Amino acid sequence: MLPSVHRGILKAAVHTLRTRGAPLNRVMSICDGVPVGLADAETIFALSSGHGRCGVAVVRVSGPASATALRSMAGLTRSLPPPRTALLRSITEPQSKEVLDRGLVLWFPAPHSFTGEDSVEFHIHGGPAVITAVLQALGSMPGMRPAEAGEFTRRAFQAEKLGLTEVEGLGDLIHAETEAQRRQALRQMSGDLGRLYQDWSHKLKRCLAHVEAFIDFSEDELIEDGVLTQVDKSVCDLQADIERHLKDERRGERLRSGVQVVIAGATNAGKSSLLNTICQRPAAIVSPIAGTTRDVVETALDIGGFPVLLTDTAGLRDSPDLVEREGVRRARERVEQADLTLVVVDCAHLPSDAQEAAAFLLAHLKSILPETAFPPTRCLLVLNKTDLLHGDQRQKLDWELRRVCGLPPVCLISCHTNEGLQDFVTVLHNSVKTLCGDPLSGAPTLTQARHRAHLQQCVTALAQYQQYRDTDLALAAEGVRLALTSLGRITGRVGPEEILDIIFKDFCIGK
Amino acid sequence: MTFRFLLLASRRAGHLARQQYDVIVVGGGHAGAEAAAAAARMGAETLLVTQKIHTIGVLSCNPSLGGIGKGHLVKEIDALDGLCGRAGDWAGIYFSILNRKKGPAVWGPRAQLDRQRYREFIQAELLGTPRLTVLEGSVEELQVTEPNPEEPGHHRVTGIRLANGSHQISARSVVLTTGTFLSGSLFMGQTTSPGGRIGDAPSSAGLSYTLQERLGLRVGRLRTGTPPRIVKDSVDFSLVEPHLPDKHPTPFSFLNTHVRCKPEEQLLCYLTCTTPGVERVVRESLHLNCHIQQDTKGPRYCPSIESRVLRFPGRAHQVWLEPEGVNSDLLYPQGLSMTMPPDMQLLLIREIPGMQRAEIHTPGYGVQYDFVCPTQLSPALQVKSTQGLFLAGQINGTTGYEEAAAQGLWAGVNAARWALSMPPLALSRTESYIGVLIDDLISRGVTEPYRMFTSRAEFRASLRPDNADLRLTLKGFEEVGCVSSLRYQEAVRVRDSLQEALAALQTLTLSAPNWTKKLPNIRISEVKTTSLTGVDLLQYRDVSFEMLASAFPECLSRFTEFSQRLKIEAVYRFHCELQKKEIERIQKEENMALPQDIDYFSLPVSLSQEVREILDRFRPSTLGAATRLQGITPAAIVNLLQYVYHTGQKERGPRRNKPDHKEDREEELCARNASIPQ
Repeated sequence: MLPSVHRGILKAAVHTLRTRGAPLNRVMSICDGVPVGLADAETIFALSSGHGRCGVAVVRVSGPASATALRSMAGLTRSLPPPRTALLRSITEPQSKEVLDRGLVLWFPAPHSFTGEDSVEFHIHGGPAVITAVLQALGSMPGMRPAEAGEFTRRAFQAEKLGLTEVEGLGDLIHAETEAQRRQALRQMSGDLGRLYQDWSHKLKRCLAHVEAFIDFSEDELIEDGVLTQVDKSVCDLQADIERHLKDERRGERLRSGVQVVIAGATNAGKSSLLNTICQRPAAIVSPIAGTTRDVVETALDIGGFPVLLTDTAGLRDSPDLVEREGVRRARERVEQADLTLVVVDCAHLPSDAQEAAAFLLAHLKSILPETAFPPTRCLLVLNKTDLLHGDQRQKLDWELRRVCGLPPVCLISCHTNEGLQDFVTVLHNSVKTLCGDPLSGAPTLTQARHRAHLQQCVTALAQYQQYRDTDLALAAEGVRLALTSLGRITGRVGPEEILDIIFKDFCIGK
Repeated sequence: MTFRFLLLASRRAGHLARQQYDVIVVGGGHAGAEAAAAAARMGAETLLVTQKIHTIGVLSCNPSLGGIGKGHLVKEIDALDGLCGRAGDWAGIYFSILNRKKGPAVWGPRAQLDRQRYREFIQAELLGTPRLTVLEGSVEELQVTEPNPEEPGHHRVTGIRLANGSHQISARSVVLTTGTFLSGSLFMGQTTSPGGRIGDAPSSAGLSYTLQERLGLRVGRLRTGTPPRIVKDSVDFSLVEPHLPDKHPTPFSFLNTHVRCKPEEQLLCYLTCTTPGVERVVRESLHLNCHIQQDTKGPRYCPSIESRVLRFPGRAHQVWLEPEGVNSDLLYPQGLSMTMPPDMQLLLIREIPGMQRAEIHTPGYGVQYDFVCPTQLSPALQVKSTQGLFLAGQINGTTGYEEAAAQGLWAGVNAARWALSMPPLALSRTESYIGVLIDDLISRGVTEPYRMFTSRAEFRASLRPDNADLRLTLKGFEEVGCVSSLRYQEAVRVRDSLQEALAALQTLTLSAPNWTKKLPNIRISEVKTTSLTGVDLLQYRDVSFEMLASAFPECLSRFTEFSQRLKIEAVYRFHCELQKKEIERIQKEENMALPQDIDYFSLPVSLSQEVREILDRFRPSTLGAATRLQGITPAAIVNLLQYVYHTGQKERGPRRNKPDHKEDREEELCARNASIPQ
């Protein structure tokens, strides 16, 4: 049994597996207006309870599509629930119908709601995975988009739902929210991601300026035809870049479908024991016989609120047995696809000299991980069976291995006595957290959802450029303009004057 | 026409039928002509005062009208029953639609004009306009009195005083369209002389004084220039590249089916370009060139040849040689605006292929002039601080005939509305290029002469030259009052026909294979089971309305008059629908008026000092305009929104009981989309 401290972080629970790769925000309106202060016909949603770990989270939806959202996510095909009455329902993903959580739903038909519009509240469990799943499910429905800061309150104000005294504070509230959002955006923008978005925005600005120059001036001026060919190339590259970025950036997806953690190592190192220890139940058969595990064994777990798909694999060795050879092939395949690999090593096989042990471990890693995985950042070394070490041998090994460069984090544990398990779980939790992004700091799930939506719109709009490039340059330019507007929602607004500035800088316009 | 001229010219101040008018328009350029005509169409007794009657409607610079963006303005002016579209159809001698290959939203209808014919048309039009009197004279100053306390503003204009013998004429509103004449100076080489155009007397200093000292208006200074005119016979046309007009001229006006000039009688334009010799002459003459040495802002997009070669050296710059008229011996070298001494100008043009032996008829020169910072104007183009005073044209910092005419028309409309006690009206940037122009001017101001480009319009896909009548003529008759019923009826007919035709196309639903049977030459990529409507088919690149009409003559052939418009409607429909939501949002914000007399520094709402300063400087007319200002935060917008809401409620309460004129105005304000406050 695990010491009680662990239970908070390490909660063995069968996590719902959802289909991977379902596109976020399947239907994207190209022309989504920034809500500056007035109601749109769009339906907005947001996590309305505070950010941070909590028992219950409230997700609020407001706008004309609220009823549809409620019907399709709470499995209410026929009638809506009675107004303002809590109803316990399974909350499902609208397309796949998979259960995301079980919670309370409330229906507030217009005008008797906070915003004066049709509204719905989902009261769900407060884990980040559940919240993210519900938000993403909402975002996948047509006509829905994440709310901007203060938007619920603004809508309430427009519906004259707020008294004047309440409104007094609204400006300050929005100020505070936008201020927080700005700080957060700055935090995110200061890194590589920010530079990337700024770079795209800059390229798009030039594309637009050059198309506009071609439209407004090419009849009278010497604007080379090559200008458009360059724009074609830039638009094409940008589209590919953003699409790749949307695909590559798997953090959100990991959070949704689970981090792929694969246990790999030599036969009889204790891989299956590690799996059983982590999930606190005999999910895999363990025996002292080498080659017991021949196929892949998968278990879904919740580690500190993050969904993890833990995979045990066959021990890696050359075997004459056909079945075992297939198991080894599958094991290697899993290791290649893994987000995180736990390489398990039997302590007893380690050379006693620390230097030699390090060299041994490095060589061992090379035999297990694919070449592309080096340097091994997405890997933990688990030295099992420390109960077989004598006295201070364990401490000495631990201390010396920590000083060796080029090795991934090392954890010494004993699946037999649970020694060192607590530290291991902490290390594992931190690794998973890094892989998912921490949804609890400043609500990046929400921001990320907005970013994704805007980037997705950007890609769609660039497709419009391609579509009309040869038939109607005005509509093609409209595509670039919409793309820039979408990106501008992340990086900042770009006005027509800025475009004209680039035109006059880049071209000699004389008419 | 000669006879009419005599009549027109015979009016003198002493013989005026009345000493009191509803509207007085000062200036007879493109802004003034449209303003006077529009005010008279609105039903106001109007007086147009100009220095010389025979320069009314003169094309001071280039002999052309329209182009990309500018063509949109001409179509919109015509849709509001203005003059310049019909004048262009009358005077055009070379018609072409620019950007033909780039999509109907950015087509640029353009024409080279016969200067003489254009002037004749405008003068005849003005003469034939009921309620409009034209007077030759120079305005010495504006008559200014205390404001009407029931309306915002610190002053009120009550008329003008003429230069000769202190003759006074009163009016309820005055439109100033003084062009480059406000403290204008002319530059050529090292000589400078006062004036706004060569050959015309400078305007009186009194007007400038009234505006700045009496009314306290902020003014800035801008510059522009014009090229030398070239003697046609001195050009070697074998060395320049001829450019042909469109085979079938397209009229500007929605009322015209054809233009006056026969297609085969159109003239040619010619293209040549600058050489390194041109650059050398520019550099050698720099020390003799006062105008170019000054740092007054000139237009970036219509620079003098001096600034072109200095900014982009080592390149060949295009020069267009344009005809000046059917009977004119001159050519206009587009792109060669210059201010160096005349002898250097001759040296310069002779460095250009085709012009080695060219002669100059009139040298080019530069103009510097005062403009009134247009952020001091309301969307009705009225000076916010002065009741009854309207400004239009270059005085507001714009350049170009079309920009001037557009403002003139709108200022004329609102001057008449003011005089006739009707509430002012604004055109939204979501419905017209004129709206974009005015909104840009009044909410952002200008740092260089403002010219229209299609890229300035956010809703370019919806604001097309082809649909200007649907956008503006109906509104112009029903709400504004500046459109004749004849034109209105035509627009209604067009609208109904288009709607019927689109409905007919929509009901024409066939499966893809059946469409292929009907139109064997068209490749329909859709899967077999999809059924497609006529509108869907019309969106195909190679499908024209004529093709559909010949396949289904019984239901479509009667609409072939609108073939092109229907094709455009079908292709743009989807994009216009997408823009609609955004347009509605902006219109809602434009509907929320910010009172013009707010003291932003003492406003009892939570606003930062920085925001207060910005608001005070630009004094946005609506919440929509405020959101477009740089440095205005979302929080500030919400607080302003609250203020508008709050004051709106307070004011509406007690007034409801005593119905007076003001009340009517406010009611109308609330009801109307783009109305603005007084």
